[in-house]
Amino acid sequence: MSLLYPLLLSSALFGIGLYGVLARRNAVLMLLGVELMLNAVNLNLVAFDAWFADALHTGQVLTLFTIALAASEIGLGLAIVLALFRAVRTVDVDEVGR
Amino acid sequence: MIRRWAYVGLTAVLAVVVAVWAVPDLGRDGFAFAGFAPDASPPLPSLSPDLFLWFGSAEIVLLAVGVGLLVQIYSTAYLGHHPRYRSYALVIILFLLAMIAVVGTTNLWVLLVGWEVMGVCSYLLIGHEWETPAARAGAAKAFLVTRVADLGLVMAIIVIGETYGTYDIIGAQVAESENPRNATAIGLLVLVAVIGKSAQFPLQSWLPDAMPGPTPITALIHAATMVAAGVYLAARLFQLYSDSTVVLTTMAVIAAITMLLGALFALVQTDLKRALAWSTVSQLALMLSAVAAADPEVGLDHLVAHGVFKALLFLGCGCLMHAVGTSALSAMGGLRRPMPVTFWTMTIGFAALAGLVPTAGFFTKDSVLDAIVRSANGDSMSNLAVGTAWGLLVVALLTSVVTAAYAARLWALVFLGPPVERLDTHRTPLAMSGPLVVLAVGTFALSIGQTVHLGVAAISTVIAVAGTGVGLEVARRGVSPRWAAPVLAAEAGLDRPFSRWLPVSASAVARTVVDLDRDAVDVYPRGGASAVQAVSRGLGRAQSRNVQRYATVLAAGALVLVVVAVMVR
Repeated sequence: MSLLYPLLLSSALFGIGLYGVLARRNAVLMLLGVELMLNAVNLNLVAFDAWFADALHTGQVLTLFTIALAASEIGLGLAIVLALFRAVRTVDVDEVGR
Repeated sequence: MIRRWAYVGLTAVLAVVVAVWAVPDLGRDGFAFAGFAPDASPPLPSLSPDLFLWFGSAEIVLLAVGVGLLVQIYSTAYLGHHPRYRSYALVIILFLLAMIAVVGTTNLWVLLVGWEVMGVCSYLLIGHEWETPAARAGAAKAFLVTRVADLGLVMAIIVIGETYGTYDIIGAQVAESENPRNATAIGLLVLVAVIGKSAQFPLQSWLPDAMPGPTPITALIHAATMVAAGVYLAARLFQLYSDSTVVLTTMAVIAAITMLLGALFALVQTDLKRALAWSTVSQLALMLSAVAAADPEVGLDHLVAHGVFKALLFLGCGCLMHAVGTSALSAMGGLRRPMPVTFWTMTIGFAALAGLVPTAGFFTKDSVLDAIVRSANGDSMSNLAVGTAWGLLVVALLTSVVTAAYAARLWALVFLGPPVERLDTHRTPLAMSGPLVVLAVGTFALSIGQTVHLGVAAISTVIAVAGTGVGLEVARRGVSPRWAAPVLAAEAGLDRPFSRWLPVSASAVARTVVDLDRDAVDVYPRGGASAVQAVSRGLGRAQSRNVQRYATVLAAGALVLVVVAVMVR
């Protein structure tokens, strides 16, 4: 199987995630964009791991690390968003900045 | 009171020191160089004092400290209650030190320093009563006029140094006697300095305008010493330009114009102090004419005599002002009886001014006239053309008539006639009348040992008596030539260039310079500043405080870098 398809998919995912982070005003959806980008990276790692047929499967191992990292990050991020919402009754980042 | 006498004590100490130093040199002959050998290599401008008294120096130094001491004593009574008395008394002492530096040094740079310090002291003391606008204006005018002329002295010193390779006066004279050069340049530059300091035409108007200063100061600085220092300089450097007919002719013409104008202006003044100021201008021109007639020593003799009797007249004028409260002649008259000491001493002073026997003024003025006569007859060393010398002689004789006339007129208006009502009838304090008596005695004492030139003496006595008669008649009838009086009273408009045209043109130039500065020079720094501001405004727009916008820029930049990396590879 060609490496192009997973890479195209991961680029699209990363682009969508980046667009979400940069364009969305809702804090929760910005976190979602971050998650999309992380998952695009995971897809990349797995794809290259398969492409190189690495004996140690370094890519897959790093992917597991990344998933754990993403989980802890989303937990922390959502906690911050919740605290923010309790403080200013909104999750719109522009409103918060004012 | 005790504190005021401390300054007198200080001045007395200075006077004693100077006397110990100068008295042995009295009457020293002019050109004893005493084995002086100038350096072959041109030295750097040094400031070693190089004190050395030559002809005239000792007398002038003693005159300066003597009059200075008398003025300090006089001031304790005249100005004793002034809140700024301390600065006044100390500036007088500073002035005396500067005068000693000018007269006692052979180093041209030290002379220049003393010369400038005298100018500063003159400015400070004219402006001593700085609450009055007239004093402020007079001080500024005196300072500016003399300072502009002082540039001539700086240039002259530089030219002397470049020509003769030394900044020592005696060294330059020795070098000049071996190989004279640049006489005209040196002479004209020195003449510029002299015209400024001694208030000669065309820079004469600052001296009468310096009269708002305290009267003792006028006596010391603007009659006896500082203004005479200009003549002293001309005499001391005479050898360096004596070969130049151009310089001597210019000097003679300036002296002739100034002595006659000053005397005529003095004749029509309504203010005693201002009349005496114009008289000083005229007398300084007479001294300068002796220098132009190649007899500087005679000029210096007249300088010393004039210093004594003019200081006497100014101090007497101070006593009158103390009693009457003003120096306007209209407020005076009939003061003969209430103020006997002032009357007798000032009578002696006026007699010396008019040139009556046997005062010192008579003898020294005759010596000046005699020098001009010898120059006109061609039997002196003068390089003056005979015609010029004759012209100078005619003007000097005319001036003598006018001088006697205005002296007699002033004397009559002040002391004769019906007594005026006066506010202040207290007696003149001893501290003020004492110096008057001392100076009056000095006016006679200086005539001892003076030479008499019989022909000139006869002519000038006739002239003086005639002028005195005219003056008394003028005072009695109050007549004056109708067509000339307005012109003379307005001082012939000679001050207009300085009081009107110069400020107007200076403001015009200043405005032009400001416009140029704003429109041609400031454009560049302002433009630079505007450009920087525009750039910073543009960059400031990027600082939007919006984190997502920053992140967008970061992402775009990263994308660009990746694309570039791919393309380049």
